[in-house]
Amino acid sequence: AAEPWPENAALYQQLKEEQILLSDNASSLAVQAFLQMCNLPVRVICRANAEYMSPSGKVPFIHVGNQVVSELGPIVQFVKAKGHSLSDGLDEVQKAEMKAYMELVNNMLLTAELYLQWCDDVTVEEITHPRYGSPYPWPLNRILSYQKQWEVRRKMKAIGWAGKTLEQVLEDVDQCCHALSQRLGTQPYFFNKQPTELDALVFGHLFTILTTQLITDELSEKVKNYSNLTAFCRRIEQQYFEGHEKDSSTIAARSSKKSLLR
Amino acid sequence: MAAPMELSCWGGDWGLPSLHPESLTVMAYAKFSGAPLIVNTVNNSWRAPKGDLPVLVSEDIVISQPAKILNFLRKQKYNADYDLSAKQGADTLAYIALLEEKLHPALLHTFWIEAENYCSVTKPWFASKIAFPLSLYLPGKMSREALNRILLTKGGPPLYSLTEVEAQIYRDAKECLNLLSKRLGTSQFFFGDTPTTLDAFVFGFLAPIYKVCFPRVQLQEHLKQLPNLCRFCDDILTCYFRLTVSGHAPAGQDTADANLQKLTQLVNKESNLIEKMDDNLRKSPQHPPRKLTTLKLAAGGEESSPMSRLSP
Repeated sequence: AAEPWPENAALYQQLKEEQILLSDNASSLAVQAFLQMCNLPVRVICRANAEYMSPSGKVPFIHVGNQVVSELGPIVQFVKAKGHSLSDGLDEVQKAEMKAYMELVNNMLLTAELYLQWCDDVTVEEITHPRYGSPYPWPLNRILSYQKQWEVRRKMKAIGWAGKTLEQVLEDVDQCCHALSQRLGTQPYFFNKQPTELDALVFGHLFTILTTQLITDELSEKVKNYSNLTAFCRRIEQQYFEGHEKDSSTIAARSSKKSLLR
Repeated sequence: MAAPMELSCWGGDWGLPSLHPESLTVMAYAKFSGAPLIVNTVNNSWRAPKGDLPVLVSEDIVISQPAKILNFLRKQKYNADYDLSAKQGADTLAYIALLEEKLHPALLHTFWIEAENYCSVTKPWFASKIAFPLSLYLPGKMSREALNRILLTKGGPPLYSLTEVEAQIYRDAKECLNLLSKRLGTSQFFFGDTPTTLDAFVFGFLAPIYKVCFPRVQLQEHLKQLPNLCRFCDDILTCYFRLTVSGHAPAGQDTADANLQKLTQLVNKESNLIEKMDDNLRKSPQHPPRKLTTLKLAAGGEESSPMSRLSP
């Protein structure tokens, strides 16, 4: 039996127009998509200090009743404990596949986004630093963004991505999109006719990549090469996000707002 | 045809061609795809291992990471994924990512961070393979790198202490092993009857856990409960690495030796008891002293005769 989902469930992320970065936006959109797919209403609240409020330091996080859960993985388990699940209909082998593909997206797409945001000097100077510290006065904004940059660069070094060039990173993104495109094929969703958390995760990342303007368009070009992936994003957007005032943006309208993301 | 390709990598023990997961992956892939590789294992020579192993050298090209080495081999037409459909190729990438994220941290931990394992097995073994001054420095460096990697990728809040991180990574690793087992099912290899890249990667990660004898072995015990994965490793070892004679016999011998040791201990304990009894008897004036010979057991099934000798 499903436990009742409270009316005032809230999802917290950073400020949408000025502060949020590519990778955080992707994660947040993935969680929003997942909750929409489960038919669980949630309000999106933007706070400048969302990252610090989160129990794990990562956005987005949801506040449901008196519990706070962050990141897609734990949120999926939390929602499952409440009695809603998207992947119950899958058999064991399919569940293994789903988990493997989610790891692939996290391992390649998310890391590539982080690399692009924090290790590519041009992007860092022009986009990341100004956006990340924008709610804070000088010198706090510079200190916070340098601190975060140092952290991310350490992590990249530990997993061996620090030595990669931008071309190699884009190659990896291409490989990942190729794999996702092959797996999706001509189906509407990754597993049969029902969306699962994998669809939410892929949608979150790909939609954000397609609609965020960076210094160059190379990243979104890589994704646009695969028409079934862009069709997939459009389909999910139309089905789950249309008619919602906060997110009623088609891909075309969003691209006109692109300049605001700079 | 082309110039011979040389692979430098860590050597092996306990029936494995190599102890290092990445080296093992590359070796396995080379066997599967039939690439003629000359394998140079690092031994106690002055050719110090530069940077990360495994390293493939072909003519003047030097390639260092397993993924890149495999790509190079594929370009040279040694392709083990020939028969795979596009979707299966995609699945390969996904499962490799799963292995990297969930299983690799626990593997690193078992080898390099778990204190008993590191001090009694890993460090001496690796130090014995490297030339003198470097052997004092390199194992420590590898251990620090492993710890760093685990803490940076898995150690953020809400996990605040190393024990919590350890608990989490072992949970993840066990879940990953379960998923792999379910995916393998009853088939011989992951995609049908011929081994592919994914089999090479899975073998590379599983075989060290399976075969190396560590003092602390929670991951190995979990793996032994998944018989299809154990069978998968053994199959690859026997078919592709031809270690039947040296690889399996020692394992069998080890268990026989262990049993023999236990039995010897038991029998010696009993003989000690009997000696005590005999001493007591000697103190009492009834019987002339009897000399009990200490038991020497030869290999094989002589267990029954000492027992019968002991019963008075």
